Amino acid sequence: MNKKKTLGLSVYIIFLLLPIYWLLMMSFKDNSEILGGLSFWPDTFTFDNYMTIFTDPTWYTGYLNSIYYVALNMIITLTVALPAAYAFSRYNFMGDKHLFFWLLTNRMSPPAVFLLPFFQLYSSVGLFDTHIGVALAHCLFNVPLAVWILEGFMSGVPREIDETAYIDGYTFPKFFVKIFLPLIRSGIGVTAFFIFMFSWVELLLARTLTSVDAKPIAAVMTRTVSASGIDWGVLAAAGVLTILPGVVVIWFVRNHVAKGFALGRV
Amino acid sequence: MLDNKKSVFKLGRLSVALLIAGCSSMVMADKFSDAAQNWVGSEFTPSTLTEKQQMNEMSWFTEAAKPYRGMEINVASETLTTHEYESKTLAKAFFEITGIKVNHDLIQEGDVVEKLQTQMQSGINIYDAYVNDSDLIGTHFRYGKVVPISDFIAGEGKAVTNPDLDLQDFIGLDFTTGPDGKVYQLPDQQFANLYWFRADWFADEDLKKRFKAEYGYELGVPVNWSAYEDIAEFFTVKVKEIDGERVYGHMDYGKKDPSLGWRFTDSWLSMAGAGDKGLPNGLPVDEWGIRVEGCNPVGSSVSRGGATNGPAAVYATAKYVEWLDKYAPPEAPGMTFGEAGPVPAQGAIAQQIFWYTAFTADMTKPGPVVNEDGTPKWRMAPSPLGPYWEEGMKVGYQDTGAWTFLKSTPVDRRKAAWLYAQFVVSKSVSLKKTIVGLTPIRESDLNSQEMTDLAPKLGGLVEFYRSDAREQWTPTGTNVPDYPKLAQLWWQYVSEAASGEKTAQQAMDGLAAAQDKVMERLERANAQGECGPKLNPEKDPQYWLSQPGAPKAKLPNEKPQGKTIAYKDLIAG
Repeated sequence: MNKKKTLGLSVYIIFLLLPIYWLLMMSFKDNSEILGGLSFWPDTFTFDNYMTIFTDPTWYTGYLNSIYYVALNMIITLTVALPAAYAFSRYNFMGDKHLFFWLLTNRMSPPAVFLLPFFQLYSSVGLFDTHIGVALAHCLFNVPLAVWILEGFMSGVPREIDETAYIDGYTFPKFFVKIFLPLIRSGIGVTAFFIFMFSWVELLLARTLTSVDAKPIAAVMTRTVSASGIDWGVLAAAGVLTILPGVVVIWFVRNHVAKGFALGRV
Repeated sequence: MLDNKKSVFKLGRLSVALLIAGCSSMVMADKFSDAAQNWVGSEFTPSTLTEKQQMNEMSWFTEAAKPYRGMEINVASETLTTHEYESKTLAKAFFEITGIKVNHDLIQEGDVVEKLQTQMQSGINIYDAYVNDSDLIGTHFRYGKVVPISDFIAGEGKAVTNPDLDLQDFIGLDFTTGPDGKVYQLPDQQFANLYWFRADWFADEDLKKRFKAEYGYELGVPVNWSAYEDIAEFFTVKVKEIDGERVYGHMDYGKKDPSLGWRFTDSWLSMAGAGDKGLPNGLPVDEWGIRVEGCNPVGSSVSRGGATNGPAAVYATAKYVEWLDKYAPPEAPGMTFGEAGPVPAQGAIAQQIFWYTAFTADMTKPGPVVNEDGTPKWRMAPSPLGPYWEEGMKVGYQDTGAWTFLKSTPVDRRKAAWLYAQFVVSKSVSLKKTIVGLTPIRESDLNSQEMTDLAPKLGGLVEFYRSDAREQWTPTGTNVPDYPKLAQLWWQYVSEAASGEKTAQQAMDGLAAAQDKVMERLERANAQGECGPKLNPEKDPQYWLSQPGAPKAKLPNEKPQGKTIAYKDLIAG
């Protein structure tokens, strides 16, 4: 039974990892080999595809742009969502439940419907093709999700801790930063991870709201498709490099992800 | 006295200031001319101009760019070797020679059109210039959002127009000219779709004998679709293997994907002979099957006088489906344009009726289809013609990526972008650019000694562009009133035929009706002024089929005797 389980699990993991392995191998091949036939290992191992990305400013600035606006988005979203989630977790006010649910429904709208309003608004106030512009656009989807996840984690912290802190003479800001935030730090990590995930892979808004200065890496990747074919090698290398930041972020929150999927509820 | 002293002092200060200004401008001038000298000496060679003429042209650019020095402009184009060269090398040279920084952004072709459309519709400046296919000429001249460059040269842009631009030297100028006679775009790169074949296999005595025995005529460059079909069958079904490798007589692609539309909107119907006579695109019915009266599109269904669902178009579609199914490699129907394009270079394809010369650079790299001395085993030749084709019609497609300027771009930025556009097509740099990207735009470059020297390695590219035949290869013309809206219909309907869901007739009927519907909407919205669509009322199709010209009635015999020509006779002729 145990052997069967191990075998099943191994097959499943191989199945999951195969596309990533294939992507990695493609990134070390040249285009003629990629298109030439089936090979599990590069015949001629090459770093040229990676060199293209690291030496061409339009490629590596794509990564820098994406990292920049994703980081901005994480900061803005957490700054807004932390107090909001605290309010939902600790206070009762008229319509709070409805408002809380309405927040989540924001995620139901496809980003495409916001393209034109955002484009016009941003162009008229000078936010078009700026990092902050993309970060703000992503907040539309990230803030509600962050509030939901954080609220779950915050509700898991007993109210008595708030009250004890006040009795001990803590002001609210001091209590919030010194006592409360450390208690939910794994929740903050998980929230940051989800925000990162959305913002990093989102293409539609990021592509439409930028042209040159804040162009995301996902949009730069589209340049590998041209009238003279597809540059598979460079596309694969860019894909590998795009996965890496995600791997790093997952490493840091690996112990909390399951809790995050339950929106913090334990 | 005191006043005198003061004025002497002032005068002194002034002269010092002038001296400093003079010196610094001299230093600046030296900086720019030094840069020009460097670029001319190292990169911009060969050129059809002498070094002195090149330096004169460069100093004109330095001088004309003075008011825009320090400006940073953004331009967009699709990803092609030619544009990569512009983006990486020429933009840098332009900056050093003029002081204007250019961000030459390379994006997917679809994205270029999307950004262009967004700017046209919103009036918000996204890019200061676009390299956009001249296929949109009908769109540009109708919507009035594009600055005709001929107006610009005569008016606002006079001071920033290179006196040595030599517009008449551009081989693609007809394609960027509207029916009003105005030039709307400046050609930047061109490539055509031609017939491609393995000259080494076609010259093989054993294969020649077998073909003759089987079909009764010589194996050679097919002149008509019957011969193409016979050769496709010969290699896929009869020969099957060469040197132990499976070979195929045809290559194409058929995945339900937007790129499927290109092979159709890029003249597949005109190759079969669906449109009317008259270059560049056929009048009154063009290769899309759209009829125009005056400057107004009046319909694409046969019932309105169009030819999109006429017998010739249906024949063309049916042959596409049949050949893909019978003679192409089994993976071809699942491929997109980008995936199928490099396949002939892998060495298992005998011929391809519809091959873009944009692949020439990749096809000349060492590999299965290139000899050890660097000469190709393959050749390109004029495409074979379908049974409906008549003398005087266009033969194939030629893409002309051309600089496009929108009215919504602020004038100063437009002028700076115009300078850059002229720089990358100037005679000082264009021959080198042609050699790098193999997408020629100037007659003078094509006739240069350097191109003669290069010709043996390019498999017929130079010969094609030097011949009169190139006039018969044209992009989408002015009959198409809104290219982005209409082009996206094609792949959806054609794929219904490719997948076998519908017959070729049903698919083309659907397409013609959908095109008419879009044009009807444009007419109702009155968005395109006096040259917008004005649809004909529907009539019995027989009425139109019995008139001369397109739409043409069904031929009793759609498979005439196959005809081929030896490649050497073709070149000689």
